[in-house]
Amino acid sequence: MGEIKPPTGEPGTPAAGQREYLSDDPRDIGWVKQNVPCQTACPAGTNVPVYIREIIERQYGRSYETNREANVLPGVLGRICSRPCEAQCRHGWPGNGEPVAICHLKRVASDLKDAGHRITERLYSPTGKRVAIVGAGPAGVAAAHDLSLLGHDVVIFEREERAGGMLRYGIPEFRLPRDTLDIELHNALRLGVQIRTGVEIGNKDSQMPMGKLQEEFDAVLLATGCMAASPLPLLGEWEQRDLRGMEGVEYGLDFLMEMHRGVEKTVGKRVAVVGAGFTALDCARVAARLGAQEVTIHIRTAEEYIPVTQEEIFEAKREGVRIKGLRTPVGLTAEGNRLTGIEFVQNRLGGWRSNGRRQAIAIEGSEFIEPCDTIIIAIGQQTANDYLGTRLELDRWGNVRIGVDGMTSHKGMFAAGDYVSGASTVVQAVGHGRQVAKRIDAWLMGRERRKQVVRIVPVEKPLRERAFDFITRQHMPTAQLDERMRDGKHEVELGLDENLAFEEAKRCYLCNLRYQIDVDRCIFCRACIEVAPRNCIKLVRGVEIDEQGAYGKLLETKEWNQVGAIWIDNNECIRCGQCYTACPVQCISISRCELTEVEI
Amino acid sequence: MAEANRKVRHHVIVGSGVAGSQAAETLRECEPDARITILTLSSLLFYNRYDLPKVFRGHRDWREYLVYPAAYYRDWKINVRRCSRVAGVDARRRVIALDHKEEIRFDTLLVASGGRGYIPEDLTDFRPLMHGFSSYTEAMSAANQVPKKGHVIMLGGDMIGLDLARTLLETRHRVTLVAGPNTFWPHEVDEEERPALIAALEQMGIEVVEGADAGGIVSIEQGAPGLSARRVLFRDGTELYGDVVMPFFGLSPSVEFMLGSGVDIERGLLVDPALRTTTEGIYAAGDVCQIWSDAERRYRFYYGWKNVRAMGDLAARNITGSSDPWVPAQDEKLHISGDGKIQSPFWEYA
Repeated sequence: MGEIKPPTGEPGTPAAGQREYLSDDPRDIGWVKQNVPCQTACPAGTNVPVYIREIIERQYGRSYETNREANVLPGVLGRICSRPCEAQCRHGWPGNGEPVAICHLKRVASDLKDAGHRITERLYSPTGKRVAIVGAGPAGVAAAHDLSLLGHDVVIFEREERAGGMLRYGIPEFRLPRDTLDIELHNALRLGVQIRTGVEIGNKDSQMPMGKLQEEFDAVLLATGCMAASPLPLLGEWEQRDLRGMEGVEYGLDFLMEMHRGVEKTVGKRVAVVGAGFTALDCARVAARLGAQEVTIHIRTAEEYIPVTQEEIFEAKREGVRIKGLRTPVGLTAEGNRLTGIEFVQNRLGGWRSNGRRQAIAIEGSEFIEPCDTIIIAIGQQTANDYLGTRLELDRWGNVRIGVDGMTSHKGMFAAGDYVSGASTVVQAVGHGRQVAKRIDAWLMGRERRKQVVRIVPVEKPLRERAFDFITRQHMPTAQLDERMRDGKHEVELGLDENLAFEEAKRCYLCNLRYQIDVDRCIFCRACIEVAPRNCIKLVRGVEIDEQGAYGKLLETKEWNQVGAIWIDNNECIRCGQCYTACPVQCISISRCELTEVEI
Repeated sequence: MAEANRKVRHHVIVGSGVAGSQAAETLRECEPDARITILTLSSLLFYNRYDLPKVFRGHRDWREYLVYPAAYYRDWKINVRRCSRVAGVDARRRVIALDHKEEIRFDTLLVASGGRGYIPEDLTDFRPLMHGFSSYTEAMSAANQVPKKGHVIMLGGDMIGLDLARTLLETRHRVTLVAGPNTFWPHEVDEEERPALIAALEQMGIEVVEGADAGGIVSIEQGAPGLSARRVLFRDGTELYGDVVMPFFGLSPSVEFMLGSGVDIERGLLVDPALRTTTEGIYAAGDVCQIWSDAERRYRFYYGWKNVRAMGDLAARNITGSSDPWVPAQDEKLHISGDGKIQSPFWEYA
């Protein structure tokens, strides 16, 4: 590993003879954040281009470890991630085709690594500090792993019989096989983390009081997620009525959790699922496996706006699930205590909400009824705070408020994951768990012990070929319908094999490669501009520096007498290497820039 | 001169089917000086898709299907850009991006891209082994695959497929229909009406297999040389052998290029009764749009040649200053005549 060098001259330019070095220059850090959109979009900060490059090199174990540096559950997230990275992938930008199957490639690293693969961890010496974590879901597990590496003694308290939280109890096995989950949880927690399952925090006799945790531990992290199903807001006579206990009414998360606790669940012939997230989709697919003849997901807006991947929607439809849009339930119909149908009102699409979701506006007088035997309500989850025995400051949505140090309004009590953000995604929970773990460590030790820098490695030649840009996205092989439905647990996505993975990995632009022109050596021949497939090489007067000290807007010019430099616009660049090959004076350099952490 | 040029509006129509072509004609009538451009994915000028069953009667020359000769477009000053795939629409900049990176500016846009044959998601794996029928090219491909007196297996069986079945039976082909819940799409048929309609199909000479009774289709396979070209295998173990398998499950609106444009979409483009989308200056007509029905208090599709043509005409009139509401142009009721034959208004075209 190199040393941190003070910024001298142009950032990203290694000194003569230097092979690799670390930079804390804000221009370099800013460059990576601007130019590697997948990594920036990943809440866990996964170093996507590096792990994909390692797949091209068929170094699957190393690729898995690159993933693990940011996220301790690569095999899990390689299956069920919501993929914010793919939404930002440069390959998916207009005119560039479809995004790289980043998530599927993450799974490749997990699936194709050697059975006896060696895990690498950077262990700190023991600190003598004790941390209690409440909740063994993705945020709690990620935090526990990082805190234990940092030398703290960690104990997780989990009310369920097994660790995993939403991963184990909220996601069906056909999307997430439990052997994969078990292995990765074990790997995450094996470094001395104690886990006490079946222990509920609360104030009843059978429960562990929160006060006791605060006495016995130096810090407490609350990571209990969002485990209370949101009630369905209905109108008229149904507005005040408690739907629990009504025959044919299920709440999505409870439905899945009970099933995964071993309760035998049944549904009617006609199942209506109300909701638009992964839980709604999972419930619908489970209902199809439980023998429902007609399963329909009813959504307020339209399919285009539901926050699940297109592949999940397609697979649900293959299994016979239908999606009907522009409708909001306003009431139910029943015979006695038995559900017979749902009354909807027709919607039109409205503006955008602050959370980026589309609004639905009910159209007066457009009510209609759809018959069904079972309704599964999956419109979201809320946090539950009654177990705390103390009042924490909450935000306007009822979630616990934390400061920049990750601490709640109680000293020494931290919070992470969905418990803070409200119902989000697994990768957000993992990312937030890690962030808060770092804050807890800083608080316990009285100082930050690690900082972010950019590792800059000179690269001798382009790592891609222009032909790679024309490879289409490789599709995930899936199980036959009969196999899926046979026991309800058969994994649907089968994983990319080595050949498919290799083809897909080649599509990655490797956005962490920085192409730069040495202006002192450039002869302004324009050869690079001639061969560039996009408008990526520009004549500029200068480059602005933004507030964070990173490169900002390029000041382009068409007047030769104003040209200060020929500049590679790395935002437009697709790393095809054409310019590098065409340059007659070899004034274009390539360096690999990746965010990493070092000890302070 | 420059001032005069700016006043000439550019009306762009995506789709050269019945709705798009009718709209172009009405636009020209209402706005003689306007610039009118039709973008179509097809390599052919506007042709009569409803006549395509005639390929099985031996009418294979594409010229026979053209509604207008090429001179018509010259005389009416309608610029038709064939083989043009629209990649996206930027409603704010009023620009259409074509797949080959060209950008076209518009003042008004009419989306009349129609629909393509829908294939249920559980059958999509078998798409390469099925023959569609929604274009001249597809119709020719199917006709070339079926030998004289050959056996056509129809899956689903919407009114487009059943129309084709009539021709196939008249031309002495054998037709087996794997019926399903949408066999009479776009007619909405209730449980009580269905048995009589199925019986009428059988009386026509169609061999009907109820797909659900056989547990649904498990696979479609290609036959080895010397055997039937296709095998359809059902979950209960029964099987069908034929020369082609043709899916007819209704239409799926072609809206992919409008995703992200800012225009509201549910299944089709959502339009008000004047066929205006939620974005100013962008209209939709034909099988691609869901029209708000005040009477039914819901957005709904209207199918059929007469409806689609009327939509094209209405959209053009509203683009050029009118504000008329949509009025359906044809009956939607499925009938069985006195002699036991099915009568559908969707089969009436000329």
